Amino acid sequence: MILEFSRTWLPYIYLYGVGGIFFLVGLWIILRYRSLNLQLKRDRSWFRVLLFGFVWYAMIHAVVIWAALRS
Amino acid sequence: MLGETVGTGLDQIVIIVYFAGILLFGSYFGRYAKTTSDFFFGGRRFAWWLITVSIVATGVGSHSFIKYSSKAFEYGFSSTMTYMNDWFFMPFFMFGWLPIIYYTRVGSIPEYFERRFNRTARGLATLMILLYMIGYISIGFLTLATALYQILGIPLMWTVVVIAVLTAVYMHFGGQTSVIFTDLLQGFILLFAGLFLFFLGLNYLGGFDVFWDALSPQAKLPLADFNRPPDFNFVGIFWQDGFAGSVGFLFLNQGLIMRFMAARSVNEGRKAAAINVLFVLPVSAIVVSNAGWIGRAIVNVFPGTIDPNLDPNDIFVEVTNLVARPGVFGFLIAALSAALMSTVDTLVNASAAVFVNDIYRPIVKKERSDHHFLEVARWVSVGVTALGVLLVPVFNSFETIYEAHGWFHSTFTPPLVVAVFLGVFWKRFTSAAVIATFTAGAGLMILGQLFPQLVTPFAHGIAMQAGKPYIYIGALYNIFVCTLVGVVVSLVTGSKPSKNIKGLTIFDIQGAREIFKGGKPNDREGEKVMVNWREADGADDTVGLSRTDLDTMAAEPGDLVYLCDRRKWLGGLKSLHSVMGEPHDEPGIVYMTNQQVKRGLFVKGKVLVVEKEM
Repeated sequence: MILEFSRTWLPYIYLYGVGGIFFLVGLWIILRYRSLNLQLKRDRSWFRVLLFGFVWYAMIHAVVIWAALRS
Repeated sequence: MLGETVGTGLDQIVIIVYFAGILLFGSYFGRYAKTTSDFFFGGRRFAWWLITVSIVATGVGSHSFIKYSSKAFEYGFSSTMTYMNDWFFMPFFMFGWLPIIYYTRVGSIPEYFERRFNRTARGLATLMILLYMIGYISIGFLTLATALYQILGIPLMWTVVVIAVLTAVYMHFGGQTSVIFTDLLQGFILLFAGLFLFFLGLNYLGGFDVFWDALSPQAKLPLADFNRPPDFNFVGIFWQDGFAGSVGFLFLNQGLIMRFMAARSVNEGRKAAAINVLFVLPVSAIVVSNAGWIGRAIVNVFPGTIDPNLDPNDIFVEVTNLVARPGVFGFLIAALSAALMSTVDTLVNASAAVFVNDIYRPIVKKERSDHHFLEVARWVSVGVTALGVLLVPVFNSFETIYEAHGWFHSTFTPPLVVAVFLGVFWKRFTSAAVIATFTAGAGLMILGQLFPQLVTPFAHGIAMQAGKPYIYIGALYNIFVCTLVGVVVSLVTGSKPSKNIKGLTIFDIQGAREIFKGGKPNDREGEKVMVNWREADGADDTVGLSRTDLDTMAAEPGDLVYLCDRRKWLGGLKSLHSVMGEPHDEPGIVYMTNQQVKRGLFVKGKVLVVEKEM
């Protein structure tokens, strides 16, 4: 049985597209107003954690979709 | 419902022993609640890992097991969606809302509304948040009682009363410290029990491969179909749970906010939030959903064992009863109880905080001792619990618990979400606009419920069902109308001068830090030091460290300092916030007053770790 695009990758693209806009706007605001100050070592670590989190979730969802389609 | 009593006498004993144990454990921590700060915020002293487990216990309510298992039984892995999309808002939370509420030392979310806007805004926020939390408590009682009364063999309302009395007892004595430590225990229990149930289910089926092969490819997809069916689709869940729900839970759940306020520092709160979302939530998603997946796999592998048309709300108890032996079943149901009690205790404590801080203290009795407010808070906890019990029949009149829960979320969350978000991230947002958001925004939301055609432009092609139009996607309409009202009114009314909202928006986070410290923050990065403590005479609230130690910490007199018992497993239970006093010349020694020693609960001879705050 072939699964439709709207059942597989469309939700994924919407999730990380629309969600990604919120994420990037949030990053921009906290960097712009120096709530996250990249001159501080601790904050640089937090910046990396924030980026990792986005990739981490995108990867989890992508891998499970891939595994489901493969089965 | 299953229509018959399930479980054995051994299961009943396990559940009763569990409740008794929690009662004793929670009440024990009453000794640590000596002030309202202790009662509400646990003295702002705890480590990230305690806060993380407590957040899990708060987030995973008993309704989660029932609700997500039912969706997992119907739709498969996409039942996890709600738990897997919080990260988008973490920059806003970790570096926006969290530092603002922590540094401004607000006692409650309504208090933020008064400082940022005005007294009317605080009043409206107080009303909405109290209604939200007490209703939530009531739904929690109903959910657990619905599962338990079949096992205990007593009527539903009596089951509710028994659970409520037990919760009220340890809340009455313990407060926030009690909540956090019982949450620690219950958080581990519910995570372990959920994973153990998954293990038992896989074992029953014959292994992971059998389980995996028994599910269809659709059931394995982690995201639902884009806009079908109307009662479970990706885009609706994204806007209701991913956006309104996540922001509402992170930013507006007074109980959760108080948990972060109990963290020993903003950085510790950030760690708790990050670890929770990155690693614990994906595990929690499996914990709350797996009974449904296992149930569906059993239907396919062993036809006739479970009725494929079983009411999905019953699948958790059905699967648990099937795969677990007597006694273990009782333990797993006790974990369901853990989920409820750890959610309800948080909400009861939070409701007491809002009542005392936002109604009683400012209006009724301004000039009373802290001890008086602590007593009031304790009795309010009992009163709130009783009110939750009284409201149970109201929510029991809904067709399902799921519907009651959904109605509650979509009605109370959007105006508050929009108000907080615009308040923190848009300096131009005015006092008139926040009141309009609460009133006119709510009015437009009601119009949307009466005339669902208004929601259609936001529906992403989701079909409008007769009788129950737009179950999820209505959240997008609600968010839109509330935002629209807020923005339009802001543009035509005057905002507060910047000096009057110092530290209350993201644009002035440094101002918030200055308010917290009472001076310019010292951002030089230093290291922690280990010291022995000695008592010294004195009345001020400073502590005395050596010049050498100050150099190591890159600190100077006037800086904020945190002293903590070196034993990490205590999680900060024995610790103290203070201010660096004038230095001396004895490296490795800290001088503090008898009062500080008592407040920090320090033990003679035990080494302390000292670090500069901020």
